[in-house]
Amino acid sequence: MVADLRHDDFLQAEPAGPLESSQNQPSAVLTVEKLALSLAGKEILQQVDFSLSAIGVTSVIGPSGAGKSSLLRCLNGLESGWTGGVKIDGNDIRQWPGGWDQLRRHVGLIAQKPLVFNTSIRANVCFGLHGWRQRRRADGLVKASLQQAALWDEVADRLDAAATTLSVGQQQRLCIARAIAIKPKILLLDEPTASLDPLSKQLIEQSMLQLAQQIPLICVTHDLEQAQRLKGQVIFMCDGRVIEQAASDQFFRQPQQIETREFLRWSVCDCD
Amino acid sequence: MSVLQQQYRNMLNRYTHGKALVLLLALPALLIPTMVLCYIFWQAAPVLDWNFLFGTADGIGFGVTEGIFSQLVGSLLLATMACLIATPFALGTALYYRTFATPWQQQLLSALFNMLQGIPPIVFGLCGLVVLVNLFSWGVSLLSGAVVLAVVVLPLLALNTLATLERIPNEYSEAGSALGLTKGAIILRLWLPRSWRQLLTGLLLAMARALSETAPIMFTATVFSGVVWPDSIFSPVTTLQTHIFYLAQEGNDPLLISIAWGSAAVLVLLVAFFALLARLLPKSGGN
Ligand SMILES: Nc1ncnc2c1ncn2[C@@H]1O[C@H](COP(=O)(O)OP(=O)(O)OP(=O)(O)O)[C@@H](O)[C@H]1O
Ligand SMILES: [Mg+2]
Repeated sequence: MVADLRHDDFLQAEPAGPLESSQNQPSAVLTVEKLALSLAGKEILQQVDFSLSAIGVTSVIGPSGAGKSSLLRCLNGLESGWTGGVKIDGNDIRQWPGGWDQLRRHVGLIAQKPLVFNTSIRANVCFGLHGWRQRRRADGLVKASLQQAALWDEVADRLDAAATTLSVGQQQRLCIARAIAIKPKILLLDEPTASLDPLSKQLIEQSMLQLAQQIPLICVTHDLEQAQRLKGQVIFMCDGRVIEQAASDQFFRQPQQIETREFLRWSVCDCD
Repeated sequence: MSVLQQQYRNMLNRYTHGKALVLLLALPALLIPTMVLCYIFWQAAPVLDWNFLFGTADGIGFGVTEGIFSQLVGSLLLATMACLIATPFALGTALYYRTFATPWQQQLLSALFNMLQGIPPIVFGLCGLVVLVNLFSWGVSLLSGAVVLAVVVLPLLALNTLATLERIPNEYSEAGSALGLTKGAIILRLWLPRSWRQLLTGLLLAMARALSETAPIMFTATVFSGVVWPDSIFSPVTTLQTHIFYLAQEGNDPLLISIAWGSAAVLVLLVAFFALLARLLPKSGGN
């Protein structure tokens, strides 16, 4: 698989077709068509169209209030009042076998506000596992997940301490570990490094790149340099719409839309 | 300078007057219950002893008994059964309120329970007499009384449970569903560990309330004498509340009156115990 498809390839790439045949264990491919969402009488998302390659990071950027978090919440089923089509591997997520709960195990979401449960660090990591026996015998998984979330070294000796005693940045990484632990097939991250120091940020980015070799990641970020470092695709959203979508090299070197250029240069967006 | 001082003194005067007024109004509210409590215990002191607490009536005498143990147990039995009956319904209502109800239904539910709380308990007692005791032929029994009491404490319990569940932030549940937890798992593994203390507090307050209700059980569950221990849920019981009531009607026998005082003191202590436990509980850790 090629991690970063070219812009035009990307637009032409048909979703599931070729991928299903090429792999035994097909990586999920996501297509979004005409996704629209209204909350409290306000249009939050309008006509969102994009698709996701089988692996690699897709960064979503855009000003505050653009609807980035709302988009992720729709994809994960936390928001269910949307219209349009979202397909994973060609399957409509509204008809997902097992319903929304199963879908959410398939499509992990790490929320913008880190929220740890009021138990131990270990229990937090295992929280999504089915069955208390699995949760008990998950030491290996706990370690692996915490390592992937770049938190292991800091908490290795106090896995049974209350998770609420961690710093905000540590809590954020704990949330990442918790989501990784259930082995989602697609991972949605909402500003995963927003409250982290440069070092942890770097570690998380490394983990993300590593994960992205197996599954597709969508990462909402306000850090344009991070979007560049993560390679892959970039989706630029403004005012509930996708303005531009391209491979990151091309996106930052030659943005096609006026709004994108404005945003990259002045960090403002005026798409109305 | 002196003008300022003057102003300051005026303010102080106004302030002290205000303070005096507030105190004057607040004192009776503090003093009267304290005095009543003191008086109860003062009156009860002569009879309060081990034999009085743990002795039982022979079941024949007309309230002139060595002890009130069977009344004490009867009260506790009724209150416990009532709370046990009411709890599942309160929980169910609150879960429905939090998970499925539309905003309109939520408003309706809380309005309904607030209204139910305002209905005089004797009305429920009357309904219990007509429906449970006579229509269902359960007779004057533990079961009839417990069911009526359950209806009386249900609004309190349900409203407390509603408020508890409502206090759980949405993000908390969402963090759970983002991990693919089912509704049931969210309730059991997120909501319950987080709010069991408040739920237990509500239960203890309901116990205190059930213990202090007299009217609803007076003609559905209790008799004055003739019973020491109920043999089944279909047999009547004796309780502290009604014991006091019947004894007080015999206003001219000093012995009976002193037994009534003793029973009152024990009842007050019992209710206070549950109310205090309910107060202390949330402070011992938790979030
Ligand atoms: N539950 C809701 N009800 C009404 N409006 C909402 C709701 N949730 C979000 N919105 C609105 O939707 C818009 C998009 O919100 P969203 O959180 O998706 O933005 P965002 O792009 O993630 O912004 P940020 O970068 O600040 O996180 C905002 O204008 C917000 O006010
Ligand atoms: Mg956001």
